[in-house]
Order: sequence, then structure tokens, then C-alpha cells
Amino acid sequence: MPIQINTSIKGKEYTPYVVRVERAKIKDFARAVGDLNPFYLDDEVGRASPWGDIIAPPTFAITFRDERNDTASFLKELGTDISRILHGEQEFEHWKPIRPGDTLLCRGKVTDIYEKSGRSGPMAFVVRETTITDADNDVVAKVRGITVIRL
Amino acid sequence: MKYAKVYFEDVEVGGEMPTLVKGPIEQIQLTRYAGASGDFNPIHQDAAFAKAAGMGDVFGHGMLSMGFVAQSLTDWLGAGTVAKVGVRFAGLVRLGDVITCRGKIVAKRPAKEPGRGAGQVDLELWAENQKGEKVVTGRATASLLSRGDD
Repeated sequence: MPIQINTSIKGKEYTPYVVRVERAKIKDFARAVGDLNPFYLDDEVGRASPWGDIIAPPTFAITFRDERNDTASFLKELGTDISRILHGEQEFEHWKPIRPGDTLLCRGKVTDIYEKSGRSGPMAFVVRETTITDADNDVVAKVRGITVIRL
Repeated sequence: MKYAKVYFEDVEVGGEMPTLVKGPIEQIQLTRYAGASGDFNPIHQDAAFAKAAGMGDVFGHGMLSMGFVAQSLTDWLGAGTVAKVGVRFAGLVRLGDVITCRGKIVAKRPAKEPGRGAGQVDLELWAENQKGEKVVTGRATASLLSRGDD
């Protein structure tokens, strides 16, 4: 029997959370990808750059999480668990660079939930969007992701 | 220090991105990516868990593959040039896989808003494994400076 997904959270907006960007996290992330770009890793190159410091790679915002509302609790709220999920799609849109010391506000929302049948049977698609703003209330980035649940 | 590696006037629609080859994927890289990203889903670490979940064996984080695709872009155009990058995860990346990132320019236009360089290019991107199977497909928009603007 396929599991039932709690579609009532479609449209739900989550309590905004604050992330403080740490220098070492940017570097660890770049090294884990194997991307040794000096603009991510070398403080001196960063200082001499137009941004005045190292910047984060384009996908770094995936590390931003609300500790009070982690993946496990989100999946439980949806009515599933981690063994059933796959990453369907992901998108990052950037307006300003992300730098060490930035204090950013992240506002997450479930923008859509729909079901369809794929090669491996029925699946649910959960679309989430997070808008990231800085201390000047400028939008730094928007992050959109689709989580696929094997029903 | 100049970050631009390619300038707006240097690129044309149809221009191909230099390929970036990553891997072979090893378990240690998936473990390291878990630590750096905070994604500790055991499906990427624990073969028994992955098998019980019906996935056969561990596979790479989609976000690691997307990181490769993002690197292929910035290796070519420069860090800080990516205005937008979006992908679909089309296939699983397994241990031992060698991933080749490819792309080409599909559109080019002068910048319409400040802070977007002299102009922007849209790219079609994809990554394939050693069998030629696409594991990631996507699109990106990059903001490029004009030669002499930096």
C-alpha cells in the first residue's frame, strides 16, 4: 500500500531563522566538492577581490538549516521518512555574494505538493522555496528545491 | 584581483563550456560532503541502509553533483558570475563513477539591471557518467563583465 502524504502543509510558511555565515564552513564546503577556487579558499585573494573577502560557492546556501526544524521533523510532518526521499530538482538564484560574517534571514515556504507516477511507481513532489535576505533587507538569494517521495 | 575569466564580448551563442571531469567518486568524498553540507542521510553512507531502502547501494548526494556542475561554470567564467543555476537530478551517481560536466551558451543579452555586469548569458548544462548517461541536466544564467571593466 502506498503511503499517504500530508498535503495540508502546501502553502505553509515556516518561522524565519537566522544563519551566521562562518568562514571555515565556506572553505570546508568548497573542499568537500573538490572546488579549490581561490576566491572561496584564499583569504588574501578574497581581500583583494571586488567583494573584500572570500565568497561562498553557488550552492553553499544548501547548508542553511533551521536547527529547531530539521529534515527529520519536516519529513515526519509530511508523513514520510528519510529512506523514501530523493532529490528531484534544485535551483539557486543569486543577487548578492555570501561572505563570512554575513547574518542572513531565511524564510522557507512549501510552495506546492503534487503526485504523479514515475518509472518506479507513484511519487509525491514537494516544492520548497527559501528567500534569504541580509541586514539591509536586500534579497541575497532564493533557493528552490523539489523533494521526491517514493510512495 | 580580477575574478572574471571570460568577458561578455568573448562568448557567443553556441559556444561550448570546457568540460570538467570529477571523480571517480569515493565513499570518503560522500562522507566529507555530508559533513560539509549537513546532509547526513545514511542512504549516502551505509550500504545496508541503502539496500533496505530499495536503492541497491549507496549513491552520491545530488547536491554534490550540482556542486560539480557549479564548479564547471565558475572554472570557466569566474567565481561570483553565477546569477542563477538550476538542475534536475536525472540519474544516480554510484561509487566509482566518473562525472563529466558539459555545457553550452544558448542565449546572450546586455544586462537589464545594475550589478549584473555588462551582460548575461544563459547556458544549458549537463553532467554524464562514464557510460554517457546523463545524471544531471540544467540551466544557468551568468553575469559577465566587459573587458576593461575590472
